Amino acid sequence: MEDYKFLFKIVLVGNAGVGKTCLVRRFTQGLFPPGQGATIGVDFMIKTVEVEGEKIKLQIWDTAGQERFRSITQSYYRSAHALILVYDISCQPTFDCLPDWLREIQEYANSKVLKILVGNKTDRDDREIPTQIGEEFAKQHDMYFLETSAKEAENVERLFYEIAAELIDQARNKDGANVNKTTTDSIGLGNFGTKATQNSCCSSFSSNTSQSTNENNNSRNNT
Amino acid sequence: MATTTTIDVSTPESIQTTLRKIAEEENDIDTNLENLLSKQSLIESKMGAICYFLGTLNTVVADTKKLSTQISHTANLAESVSAKVRSVDLARSRASECQQRVHDLIDLQLCSQGVLKAIEEEDYEKGSALIGRFLSIDQNVLQRTAGDVGSSGSVTSVSDAVRTLENATEKMRKLVVIRFDEAVNKDDLASVERFLKLFPLLGIHYDGIEKFGKYICTKLAIKSEKELRTSLDIAKSENRLPVAFADTLTTLLENFARVIEVNKPIIEAHYGSGYLIILAILLQNECDSEVKNVVLEFNKNRRINDLIQQIKEYNRATGGNMPSLSQYQKQSVNADKPQPKDIDPIIVELTIMHSRVELYFRFLRRKVKLDIDASNVEDVEKERQTQRLNSLLNNSGLSRQMQELLSNYLLLERHFMEESVNKAITLDTFEVGQQCSSMVDDVFYILRKCIRRSLTTQSVNGLCAVINNTASCLYNFINALKVPLKNGYPSGYTDLAYSAIQSAVQHGKLQSSDSEKARSNFINRLNNADMSTEFLETLWETIEQDIKNTFPTLSVTEQRIVDSCISELRTVRDTLKACVNFGMTQLRSSAVKPRLNPWIDQFLNYSHILSEEELADYEAGETFIQTLIVQLDGFLSQFKNVLTPRNFDAFVSILATDTTARLERAIKKTSFNRLGGLILDQEIRALSSYLTGVTSWSVRDKMTRLTQIATILNLEKVDELTEYWGPENENETPSWRLTPQEVRILLALRIDFRMDDIKRIKL
Repeated sequence: MEDYKFLFKIVLVGNAGVGKTCLVRRFTQGLFPPGQGATIGVDFMIKTVEVEGEKIKLQIWDTAGQERFRSITQSYYRSAHALILVYDISCQPTFDCLPDWLREIQEYANSKVLKILVGNKTDRDDREIPTQIGEEFAKQHDMYFLETSAKEAENVERLFYEIAAELIDQARNKDGANVNKTTTDSIGLGNFGTKATQNSCCSSFSSNTSQSTNENNNSRNNT
Repeated sequence: MATTTTIDVSTPESIQTTLRKIAEEENDIDTNLENLLSKQSLIESKMGAICYFLGTLNTVVADTKKLSTQISHTANLAESVSAKVRSVDLARSRASECQQRVHDLIDLQLCSQGVLKAIEEEDYEKGSALIGRFLSIDQNVLQRTAGDVGSSGSVTSVSDAVRTLENATEKMRKLVVIRFDEAVNKDDLASVERFLKLFPLLGIHYDGIEKFGKYICTKLAIKSEKELRTSLDIAKSENRLPVAFADTLTTLLENFARVIEVNKPIIEAHYGSGYLIILAILLQNECDSEVKNVVLEFNKNRRINDLIQQIKEYNRATGGNMPSLSQYQKQSVNADKPQPKDIDPIIVELTIMHSRVELYFRFLRRKVKLDIDASNVEDVEKERQTQRLNSLLNNSGLSRQMQELLSNYLLLERHFMEESVNKAITLDTFEVGQQCSSMVDDVFYILRKCIRRSLTTQSVNGLCAVINNTASCLYNFINALKVPLKNGYPSGYTDLAYSAIQSAVQHGKLQSSDSEKARSNFINRLNNADMSTEFLETLWETIEQDIKNTFPTLSVTEQRIVDSCISELRTVRDTLKACVNFGMTQLRSSAVKPRLNPWIDQFLNYSHILSEEELADYEAGETFIQTLIVQLDGFLSQFKNVLTPRNFDAFVSILATDTTARLERAIKKTSFNRLGGLILDQEIRALSSYLTGVTSWSVRDKMTRLTQIATILNLEKVDELTEYWGPENENETPSWRLTPQEVRILLALRIDFRMDDIKRIKL
């Protein structure tokens, strides 16, 4: 048996060419492969990280962005613990497609899945989507937000490590909830508010947690 | 020495002694001297010998010096000889080069003389062969030779010959192209092949293959168009209708594969290795457009786009999740969504089409890769050609078509699976005498069918997606199982599962009360969940085997993806097990506890302080334990046949745990004398042997505490305990489950034991 405490599945989605494969390769292999071909179906990488003294195995699923692979990639949403939705900050259409992606996530993924919005390619000079716009969008849709550059290795490690930290907190809360016989429904985003503010490394995440919790509750009441 | 040097001359005795000593020393010295003198002659003779040999050594030194000069001399000689050999070699290779050039020049003359004649006589083979010979001569050397010969002033026609041949080559190339085109126009296959062979001789390999490729493509285009039309017509009237388009696609791809297969040896013979990729690229373009036509026809005739649209809308309406059963029943009225029965044949056809394309790609990759590997170029170039091949295969229109086919397949397959599973759950029927209802068999039959079908696509991605969908589907199935379990096992006066089912049989469903129905439903779901875990385990075992057979050579990454998807099914199994456990706890709280407690509490009504006569009376009459066993037996037998064996064992386990716990409580509230303890021991033995007999599973462990309690209460005297309690007994009897504190409390239950004795005992 391999030696790890938790296993988390992370699935990357987003339009073709936004840099999903590059993000994964940068994180798992420390490479930036120029001229990366389109992914066919899904690809799969594993990296074991250590967070808060725990060994965590991350199963990272890199999916193809093209429409014709959608029915393959969708089938991986349900078992995902975290979904990273990627767009290209220098390409407006990739940002415009985000609502479609969210609809798809809503349709196929677990309702408690951790969602992260990532604006990639911050190394580019021809930015089309200002950071603030991305941030707003994430806030509206209960997602964490981070801008990265796979090319310059900016925020890539941080992205995955913070996801791992959040997922550990979730898993611990879930265990606790089961022991205390409290309602299991509280595992969702509701717990992030307190957890995230306690944890200094999640500063970027915590900025929108309190609001997102409220909105999350509202949306639940509405449905 | 000190004694001998300090001579004591004070007394005549000492003088005497000293004198004697001196005389002794003198004697010693004399013998030593004699010894030394006797060795003198030996040493002298040895010295003589040494002097003699010294003379000889001088000669050796002189000889050695001579030898070393001779050796170095020889070495010099050898070196100068080998230098000469080297220059001779060089000369010889130049001579042969020169000879080659002379041969070339002679051939050049012959070629230039022959070629014009050949062209005039329209003997293209001979002309091309001559030109081929000309082109095989190193053109640079030829230029230089022409210059050399020219500068020496002799009137040779080297440069003329070269010029003639160059002109002839041009002319010949044009001619061959023209003749080839003529042959193509006339559709004269023999001539086409005849001229095809001439292109490489004229040094225009690429043109030859390109022209040939185009020719074949036009031929194939006509052929496949005809085939598409006829197969569509024929298919309508014949029984291959359900797979008509798959057949057409198969024929089409077979045509292309045949072209490669037939022409590979021809091209390799006349052009050499490494040219097949050019033909493959040309053919692929044509193949892409023809496959596109077939797929278009397929999509049109089978209304694929409509179906996809309908399913997508339906999924959106249900929020992607499978609808709950009541929703499902309502929605089944509206016929907007495609029915599983209708899309089943289309799914089969899609899998066939996809697998054919996959096989075609494998064939093409293998053939072209072999050709590239056999080619006579550097590794870097081979690598570049291989990449060219990969990008040809991955970026071709056919590959995109294939991915779209797979996408459609997966969408339809998922719909088929979910709808069929829903249908199986809705149409669930329970037959008397069966432990599970029809849906368990049905659901797993459907899932297995879908996964098997996904294997026939020959696509790992497709297989994995279907396994993922299976897991999702099973979660919905589990929810369907769980609803009745959540509501709990209905308790009441007739809270026996057996009678519930019995009465349902006797009176028919209409007359059985709601709670009876609910009860049989509960038991049924519990069995279904248990049976499902077993079926699920079998399912992934067979899938793993099937995968090994279908994909014998998976890459490491592919294997990991597959494993990860299958492990998802394991998670589902664990959820199912949790579901069974949940049902068991429900059963325990509403069926076991309320019955069991009053039965066991009867124990308190029997006095365990008895005289001899009372003991005899007690044994003659109906004892507590006999009644209890009859009651338990009646209770268990009602569940024995309605529960699956695994569930029944779990049920007995629960019953045993609860019985022993409750009985222990009752014992602790009772007082005993010696005979009472004896009776208790008999009672516990009877219970233990009964429970052991009911189940295959070992119940002894559950009885250990009770047995130990009975042993303590059945003691003759307090001191006797030490015979049972103690480290030396641990090998014979099971280790004690009771704490020393508990033992003291139990001993105190015996009214005939004195507290002082109990306190004194060492534990």
